[in-house]
Amino acid sequence: MSKTPEEQTKHLDEMTCLLYIERQLDRARGLEVSAHTQDCADCRTLLRALERESRLLTRAMLEEDEPLPSRLAQFQERARNSMQWIWGLVFGLAATGLYALYTGYVQPWQQQLEQAGFGGSNLLGLLIFQGAFWKGWQSMITLLEVLAMLTLAGIAVAFFRRRIRRGSALALMFAGFCAVLTLPTAALASETRKGESARVSSEETIKGDIFLFGDRVKVDGTVEGDVFLFGHDATVNGHVEGDVIGFAQTLQVDGKVDGNIRAFTNTLTIRGTVAKNVLTFDERVNLEAAGKIGGSLTVFVENLNLEGSLGRDLLVFGKHVTISGKVGRGIREKGAGLTITSSGEVGGPIHYEGDTPAEVSPSAKLASPVEFKKLEHKRDYRQGKYYVWQVIWAAAFVLFGLVLMSLMPKFSQDAVKSSEEYGASAGLGVLVLCGVPIAAVIACVTVVGLFIGLSALFVWYGSLYFAQVIVGALVGQWLMGRTSQLWPLIGRMAVGVVIVRLCTTIPVIGGWVKLGVIIWGLGAISIALYRRFQPVIVPGGTPGSFTQPLPPNTTVGGVQPA
Amino acid sequence: MEPLRPGRMSAPGITEPTEAITRAKAGDAEAWGQLYHDYAPAIFRFCRRALPTREDAEDATMEVFMKLRGKLNQYDSTRSFTAWLYKVAANHCWDTLRRRKSRQDKETGDLENVPLEHPDPSQLERLIEQRSSEEVRKALAKLGARARMALVMRYYSDMSYDEIADALGVRRAFVGVVLLRARHELRQALEGSSALAAGGAS
Repeated sequence: MSKTPEEQTKHLDEMTCLLYIERQLDRARGLEVSAHTQDCADCRTLLRALERESRLLTRAMLEEDEPLPSRLAQFQERARNSMQWIWGLVFGLAATGLYALYTGYVQPWQQQLEQAGFGGSNLLGLLIFQGAFWKGWQSMITLLEVLAMLTLAGIAVAFFRRRIRRGSALALMFAGFCAVLTLPTAALASETRKGESARVSSEETIKGDIFLFGDRVKVDGTVEGDVFLFGHDATVNGHVEGDVIGFAQTLQVDGKVDGNIRAFTNTLTIRGTVAKNVLTFDERVNLEAAGKIGGSLTVFVENLNLEGSLGRDLLVFGKHVTISGKVGRGIREKGAGLTITSSGEVGGPIHYEGDTPAEVSPSAKLASPVEFKKLEHKRDYRQGKYYVWQVIWAAAFVLFGLVLMSLMPKFSQDAVKSSEEYGASAGLGVLVLCGVPIAAVIACVTVVGLFIGLSALFVWYGSLYFAQVIVGALVGQWLMGRTSQLWPLIGRMAVGVVIVRLCTTIPVIGGWVKLGVIIWGLGAISIALYRRFQPVIVPGGTPGSFTQPLPPNTTVGGVQPA
Repeated sequence: MEPLRPGRMSAPGITEPTEAITRAKAGDAEAWGQLYHDYAPAIFRFCRRALPTREDAEDATMEVFMKLRGKLNQYDSTRSFTAWLYKVAANHCWDTLRRRKSRQDKETGDLENVPLEHPDPSQLERLIEQRSSEEVRKALAKLGARARMALVMRYYSDMSYDEIADALGVRRAFVGVVLLRARHELRQALEGSSALAAGGAS
């Protein structure tokens, strides 16, 4: 349709037409437009077309082309039906079951074992490390590890999902997992060998890293990168130029390792040479006479027998430590016993905290005498000092809560609110209490995550205390009523914390109360933390802004121009 | 309860869920569930139209309701609940889109230039007559974030120019421009030609 320039200037522009049909023009202008459209068929058609367009848009958008997704429907069910009591029931039953299991099976077993001469042994240690109760503990630990890793991965997905697109989040997660596996390999290629017996033969030289999975795993040749061992019996006879990371029942290092050893085993024996450090979690560690570690040895162990040579420090969390070899620098031990034989030699200070004093042979060569501190196992309820300390502790908790709540008022309030979701808090609390340390330990062992692992442990440890503050605040609210303001909440927290602390000092059940409080609070913090990662929306405006100057007229009705 | 018609829920004759809101404010989970049941489909569809993917819309719906749960005490019961709900949803969706920086820069620069063209009305009519709702929805999905958001707020949830201006962070006087440009973009997406959108959606 062609128009002369004169005609075109006479026509209404589209903006005016739109504002007219939307009733956004002032009265005078509206009348002008109305009058114009009486005479101008072209503009009438445009108005009609714009209105049809509005209708088409509304219709297209209103059509229910998709049902409500099941995820949202389930969310609805959750919103409608409070499942708290079911969770409570489940946890109650589980607790009863555990108690029955303990009194019916574990306690009699413990008594029998004590009668059989196993008295004094830590039961959990006995169960886990010696497999006395059930040989399947190793598998259970593996399962727990997997669960813990999955939990962490789930939390990570939930976190990233809120930040970036879903596809990207998944891609990132996969990339992350791949990175965890491949990061230590840097630019080197990696190789994987699986089977009943996976080995690197003596004439072989592996250019990059190698992953060995098998019942019997053996490295006889040379590996120019890192070695990852997963097996029942693992042996390193050859030369590893990188690190050795091992998960095995027994790991024996007879060859030469230029890097570090990080292991999670039942028995670790070192007869060869390790140039750098060793970090290990085991039941038994033997550094034999021929064995040599250039760096330090950090070990979580039941029995450590050190006959060989250690270049730097020894840090032990364990039961029985025997030093017959040479320790280049100091020793720091927390455990049950320390023996230094006549051939023992220690080049630095020895700090030992344990049940019994160290047995040191007079002919042992020590740079300084052993500093011994007796481990306190039991509280002395009869001493007044104990109660003074309890008061100090309670005050410290209140102070800690005061500082945290002042620093993070919103988060603390959210956490207290979350703690009212009893079931979810308890469930998540158990998961976080067990899962985070396991995942952190795994992260520490697998080189790449040392910093992440230690940070996670640190935060987790801090949360154990914060959890008690949160539960304290809730208990305070029960007694003194709800509040949404900070200072009244702090007051309630102080009262609640004192009550919680009092409950935790009750003999026998106090420990259980404390555990329950920690689990509960930890879960509440986790829920609040999860919610904190949700995106914050722009505040929803004041209700006053809803006033409309003119009623919207998007679906025709109102003034018909033609 | 019959599903409520979104965008028209606040129309006269539709009763506001006053009782359910009062109970939900007092912490009644059942009342909250009822509100969710009645309003979630409409909010989901709002988010579905405004956001690029179905997953985004699902997430946004849940987040809007979680946010509402915390904000319910701030709701002034003398006002329309639906309008308030849509305002929260619109703010949430727009915030999500803005965070992703998916808005094109061109969208901010064009507002000062008010389009004054007079397109060929019969051609526009033909274009509209030929298109189905499904085609319009597909075309909507191709629009820029602000254009889509503006159209959804106006033609789905019936929000006023003031509310749209407030949500998008533009002056009220420019809401018409945003809407007209959005229509131009839509026509372009529908048609694939720029004849009807000339000078509009550049």
